[in-house]
Amino acid sequence: MYKTDVRGKLIDGEKSLSQISQEILEPINGKTPKWWYAAMGVSLAMFAWGAYSIFLTLTQGVGTWGVNNTVGWGWAIINFVWWIGIGHAGTAFSIFLLILRQKWRTAINRAAEAMTVVAVFAAALFPLMHMGRPWLFFFVFPYPNTRGPLWVNFNSPLFWDFVAISAYLLISASFWYFGMVPDFATIRDTTKSKIKKAVYGFFAFGWTGSSREWLRYEGLAFVLGGIAAVLVVSVHSIVSTDFAVSVEPGWHTTLFPPYFVVGAIFSGFAMVLTLVTLMKKLYKMGDFITENHVDAVCRVLVFVSLIMGTAYITEIFIAWYSGSEYEMFTFFKNRITGDYAFQFWAMFIFNAVVPQLFWFRRIRRNMWIVFTISILINIGMWFERFNIVVTSLSKNYLPANWASYTPTLVEIGFFIGTIGMFSAGVLLFFRYIPQIAISEVKMISKYNTQQTDHLKPGHHHDYE
Amino acid sequence: MITNKKYLVGVFDNEHTLKDAFQKALDKGVVIEEVYTPYPIHEILHGMKNKTHITHAAFFFGLIGVTAIIGGMYYAAVIDWPLLFGGKPFNTFPSFIVVSIVATILTITILTLLTFSIRSKIYPGKTADIIDIRATDDKFIIVLDQDKMGIEIPAVTQLFQSNGASEVYEKESTSN
Repeated sequence: MYKTDVRGKLIDGEKSLSQISQEILEPINGKTPKWWYAAMGVSLAMFAWGAYSIFLTLTQGVGTWGVNNTVGWGWAIINFVWWIGIGHAGTAFSIFLLILRQKWRTAINRAAEAMTVVAVFAAALFPLMHMGRPWLFFFVFPYPNTRGPLWVNFNSPLFWDFVAISAYLLISASFWYFGMVPDFATIRDTTKSKIKKAVYGFFAFGWTGSSREWLRYEGLAFVLGGIAAVLVVSVHSIVSTDFAVSVEPGWHTTLFPPYFVVGAIFSGFAMVLTLVTLMKKLYKMGDFITENHVDAVCRVLVFVSLIMGTAYITEIFIAWYSGSEYEMFTFFKNRITGDYAFQFWAMFIFNAVVPQLFWFRRIRRNMWIVFTISILINIGMWFERFNIVVTSLSKNYLPANWASYTPTLVEIGFFIGTIGMFSAGVLLFFRYIPQIAISEVKMISKYNTQQTDHLKPGHHHDYE
Repeated sequence: MITNKKYLVGVFDNEHTLKDAFQKALDKGVVIEEVYTPYPIHEILHGMKNKTHITHAAFFFGLIGVTAIIGGMYYAAVIDWPLLFGGKPFNTFPSFIVVSIVATILTITILTLLTFSIRSKIYPGKTADIIDIRATDDKFIIVLDQDKMGIEIPAVTQLFQSNGASEVYEKESTSN
């Protein structure tokens, strides 16, 4: 039995199953609020700037960016790692919390998975454009061809990364979609609109809720969940090998894979927190996403934040302990003090210090503070990637090669464009897809109330 | 050929009454055609005695996938186009591991999804075979085939109603 006294109630109010469907489907069935159009307009404007930046990059080349021979990996790779990190929340929520049997995940996992798909898509744009000739993208596929050395380099982390990101995108998208099939059937069977019935009916794949379907569905969730858990860990480990297998000071460390995976889950959970606080405020989903849910995410974050702080301090300690003067220089002269001190301390304070506020229950229960901290963590995680990419590259072994890096408007526009793409995607999700997994919330609703206890076997049956 | 099937449909309002009635019907030897619920209920899935081998299938997909992927990389790097770099061996197996894991996971996912789609007959645009439309919302439905259920209609109606069914009705279907 799920102990509601530990986590608090999972659903506020005594809701019938049909009320659960209706309230979750309200944003789809009801009138679109005005702020939605305004937000969509802003998102599309941002996206348009991004599209124009991509156009400039395509037609004029990577020379429109601020990257140079020394700092070859500017904002594009920072943003790539940042978006991939955010994209880890969906599967982390669905899989890890599923394995750990955390029932509070049910109200949040759908939003987290939706966010994952959009974030990974945004992430994939950066390496694609960074190729310089993106129209030759298909060169990275290993297939028999007629081009010189025929095969891709299977020993390169960049190729591993390509495989990992494509697999991750496909798998998280299918995991997300199959989770929605029963909910689409609910829309099909409850809506009054003929158009919705036809459209959602098409996407519901003929789902009826029969025991045969549920049996295989559970088997499928078990298989996908089990293997995707491996994937979550491997994807960001692989992203970290893009850095760790090089010899740059500050990159060449064995700490990188766990440090990246934990960082990814950290930023992903923070972005989930941003979204669910918005869903609570804007869509009045507060009965399903209760303060207890937000509280639980905050508790995860305070724990992960401690791991992040430990990782930062470990890196610094090892730099000193290794006795390598290059490591010492990178960490002490180039990060903690020096040209990039601001970015370092922004990272350290936003990721390792500020989230410690979540130790206090009053902070965890104040939605405005939670929302603000979740944004700060996202900024801090961006600065972490800036630190890793730019500080190590700009001042490497050969002082003659040292160079500074400033992003151009095209790079900034590209980043803003992906943010616009992300928010537009999330807004479409809010409007057209059940924000909360209806069938899963119905399943946990029985753990929530005391009212049905008398109907359980072993109790007195009042209908007999 | 279209055959008309006559169904007897029992509608329940919650999981507990459904499980009770389901168990009592099974104890009486009633043959249950299908149960439709808004969410999976393990006692029902267990009681219906349907088996799924989707997890075994997934295991074999993985086995086939990992063999093909490691074999493919070995073929490319050793047989088809060996490259000499720094005297290193052609078969650099440890660095094949990452791609093997990730691509195997991808293979399993795609093939398991296909298997699920084929075996459960769940595919884009399929017209749903709905007995009672409320089963995806808030009702729990037990469906009996009148020709095969092994009990008379009044007896089973009485059984359902005394165990908390909110409705029991007959329905004719032209599908199947």
